Amino acid sequence: MLLSNKVAIVTGGSRGIGRAIVEAFAAEGASVAFNYLKSEDKAVALKEQIETQGGKTLIFKRDVKNLDAMKKMVEGVKKEFGRLDVIVNNAGILKDKALMLMEEDDWGDVISTNLSGTFNLARAAIVTFLKQKAGNVINITSVAGITGMARQTNYSASKAGVIGLTKALAKEVGPYNVRVNAIAPGYTDTDMVQGLKDDFKKKVLEMIPLGRFGKAEEVAKAAVFLASDESKYITGQVITIDGGLSM
Amino acid sequence: MSEVDMNALEDEIKGIVVEIIEVEPEEVTAEADFVEELGMDSMQALEIMAAIEKKYKVQIPEDYLGKIVNFSSLLKISNEIINGK
Repeated sequence: MLLSNKVAIVTGGSRGIGRAIVEAFAAEGASVAFNYLKSEDKAVALKEQIETQGGKTLIFKRDVKNLDAMKKMVEGVKKEFGRLDVIVNNAGILKDKALMLMEEDDWGDVISTNLSGTFNLARAAIVTFLKQKAGNVINITSVAGITGMARQTNYSASKAGVIGLTKALAKEVGPYNVRVNAIAPGYTDTDMVQGLKDDFKKKVLEMIPLGRFGKAEEVAKAAVFLASDESKYITGQVITIDGGLSM
Repeated sequence: MSEVDMNALEDEIKGIVVEIIEVEPEEVTAEADFVEELGMDSMQALEIMAAIEKKYKVQIPEDYLGKIVNFSSLLKISNEIINGK
């Protein structure tokens, strides 16, 4: 198994891409902790599912917007599992609107969850990684952060910010054997995409060379690769998984 | 910790500082500012902490990182934590 003996934290692990990453990590032998904010039932069900399959997991009802909560989560994981090897900054929200209709809170909530949330867990974990001279940060960004998407100035800015953070941090902590990479999914078949209007979905599908939406499991496979020692010479990269959309 | 141990601790921790910051032992006076006078960067501060943790099998809370400003403060913090283990 690719992630035997590794300990990981995945934010926003109860649904969508985060959930697929939690499942894939556990299937590859990692002990996985994840947090959730609202989806308690789904988080508990996922924990039970993983434990039934013989995996080890911990769940935390914690908000990525809160640095102190992230610090406590890191401490909790280290206490329970004895170490920490990988963090996956996945928690993210959308509040799509044309800029002329966008309220300050629509902007602020998206930036503070998607971008500051990524900072918060990275900040909470980085000293542990630097001290053990090993660690792995995987940030889930988006094609929107690379190409920009209309009605997503907040989301696109937050995800472009995550790419900047990824590259800067990769340079900063590379000498300490800490790798930092990002995954940029395109349209992936999760609650986020299911919420799109049908005519818009149809238009998007026409733009995707592979002609379909991605699956969360397909994103999770890249996360497993980046979290494993198979990718140990890869850092500062953004892996796009979008069926060719952003070419 | 007795006086003798304190002296040993001082020598050992100075050894760690000298090795990591790459300065001469005589430059590491009690009050010489690690950053301003000895050119320590934040990563070296962390390495010093990690080296002390490893050598004495203790955990130094992350919050102490900003409090390590010179040899005197480092020794005080180390003594507190190592005594408390």
